[in-house]
Amino acid sequence: MGGKCPHRSVKKRRYSHKTARRTKFLYKGDDMVYDELQKPDEERKLLPVDEDLPGMGQYYCRHCDRYFSNVAVRDEHFKTKRHKKRVKQMMGPAPHTQLDAEIAAGMGMPDNGPKLMSM
Amino acid sequence: MRLEKCWFCSSTIYPGHGIQFVRNDAKIFRFCRSKCHKNFKMKRNPRKVKWTKAYRRLHGKDMTQDTTFEFERKRNRPERYDRNVVENVLKAMPKIVKIRTEREERHHKERMKGKKGKLAKEAKQELQQGIHLVKAPSVLQEEPSLTLPKIKVKVFQPQSEENHAMEE
Repeated sequence: MGGKCPHRSVKKRRYSHKTARRTKFLYKGDDMVYDELQKPDEERKLLPVDEDLPGMGQYYCRHCDRYFSNVAVRDEHFKTKRHKKRVKQMMGPAPHTQLDAEIAAGMGMPDNGPKLMSM
Repeated sequence: MRLEKCWFCSSTIYPGHGIQFVRNDAKIFRFCRSKCHKNFKMKRNPRKVKWTKAYRRLHGKDMTQDTTFEFERKRNRPERYDRNVVENVLKAMPKIVKIRTEREERHHKERMKGKKGKLAKEAKQELQQGIHLVKAPSVLQEEPSLTLPKIKVKVFQPQSEENHAMEE
């Protein structure tokens, strides 16, 4: 539920739902997560210690882009339906991009011209 | 002036229309109207929303491969102005549009046609198989005018002959 904004006189606008929606903005987009997952394992860096995140940012789910407070909670998350659904989605075809939209609109591949500096 | 395409529905965005969202990784999402923007905010997948071009292409509703799609491209390089080229392009544009619409119409016609024949064939076959439910086989034998002209379905023919033999 949203927090209370008591100074608002209009009944409709009394509650702010911004805090409830805040988490929605924090998560990465599907395409960002997908790109992250496509990277080979060697490129993955160690999780930096961040005291603002739950569990100092050490327990992370790459598929769902979520931080957990400890290993037990994270492993519990791995068992959930939501996580499994997400993994399946990420195993599938690449998410929709602007290029897909343009091709669907009947445009060809972008023309970047010949490479000027050929090494 | 560049005419962009909507991220969600792939329609053309003319200057002064729609809204643009720049994510914190500098990726740009353009939307032609609030409908598309709202659908994006709801995290809907355009491939699963039936009214988008992406869906229609993916499910064979629209023409997918065509030579007329090669003309409109995003050109990320400066083009030197040439009066003759511009004239030729302006002359070619309505022709290309005409060809494309004709091909699209043909594709649509083809798509609509295919199913009708298949359905009719299936219905005919079902009628052939289930005619005994409508009229008893004995009645049919008495009045041959009620029977349908036979379709050649190899599997069922010997069976029907056997049945007739049994009744006799």
